[in-house]
Amino acid sequence: MHPTGLAAAGSSGTTRQPAKRRIPVGSQPGMADPHQLFDDTSSAQSRAYGTPRAPSGLGYPAASASPQAAFLADPVSNMAMAYGSSLAAQGKELVDKNMDRFFSVSKLKYYFAVDTMYVGRKLGLLVFPYLHQDWEVQYQQDTPVAPRFDINAPDLYIPAMAFITYVLVAGLALGTQDRFSPDLLGLQASSALAWLTLEVLVILLSLYLVTINTDLTTIDLVAFLGYKYVGMIGGVLMGLLFGKIGYYLVLGWCCLSIFVFMIRTLRLKILAEAAAEGVPVRGARNQLRMYLTMAVAAAQPLLMYWLTFHLVR
Amino acid sequence: MAFTLYSLLQAALLCVNAIAVLHEERFLKNIGWGTDQGIGGFGEEPGIKSQLMNLIRSVRTVMRVPLIIVNSIVIVLLLLFG
Repeated sequence: MHPTGLAAAGSSGTTRQPAKRRIPVGSQPGMADPHQLFDDTSSAQSRAYGTPRAPSGLGYPAASASPQAAFLADPVSNMAMAYGSSLAAQGKELVDKNMDRFFSVSKLKYYFAVDTMYVGRKLGLLVFPYLHQDWEVQYQQDTPVAPRFDINAPDLYIPAMAFITYVLVAGLALGTQDRFSPDLLGLQASSALAWLTLEVLVILLSLYLVTINTDLTTIDLVAFLGYKYVGMIGGVLMGLLFGKIGYYLVLGWCCLSIFVFMIRTLRLKILAEAAAEGVPVRGARNQLRMYLTMAVAAAQPLLMYWLTFHLVR
Repeated sequence: MAFTLYSLLQAALLCVNAIAVLHEERFLKNIGWGTDQGIGGFGEEPGIKSQLMNLIRSVRTVMRVPLIIVNSIVIVLLLLFG
């Protein structure tokens, strides 16, 4: 086997020689090379002006004093750049057109229309929802107002940032316990995302089964379920600073706050008619809806504990 | 706690396969969940049971062909990569 292997290597080596031998081609300027797509005009220029410029063209590596300038200035690469940029523009159009078919980007933009004051007040509301009175989302001609103008509107900025921060804080916590490795970060992120997806699917299924007609869209649901990451981050950070006592205290507080927050928010969406009157209703249908709201709200503290308890030792 | 997105996808595929395998005549009719036993008039409340029966029927109808494709791909990939 070996002699044939060496012979094969030798023959492939010799077949590679002609490609290498094309480098010192200044001896044959202007000759039509079958591998060249365009006429080599720069060598004619260099011959005319006598400046030592490397002959450009496909297959010739630039070897002059200023290779980049020579490379960018010649017409071949200009054309290549124009072609490449038009390809990129076409690709971008294609992607935009197809993205609109799957999920509308403009609807997504609504959830990111936030400003600093909104974020600050919303974070305060997530941690202390007990004094807030009016939980209705204001409408403006049939469309809900952007989160920038109404603190009750759901947004995706806080959940997204909180999720990423949670993954980073989890990495930090694991690092302080010497349990860190880079793939664990991916595992944490994937696990949290998987729980979120499972929650969304279960809630959508139960909403469908109980035939509740709400205006609670999927993205709204994802936004509400993503608010628990804020409490989780607080708990883990306190656990890092003050040990288990701090972790349990802050996590307990955040769990209670998220519970109250979810009940007050979902009550308006799921139990719309009952909440409008402001009294707890006793009908069978409303009771089922109330149970569903309580179940969704009770799942939040459970998940908050489940996703963080292994990070604090 | 290795609950990853991949295991969620596996579980979802297995669940959809399980729903697709329920036999209409031998099983669903015997427990009263057949598709022709669910018409309950035009009342306001469809009820959980009829919603569930509708869901099973629609999953079976819609996912029949995509399941064939996805199952074949998964079988080939699992055979190749374990």
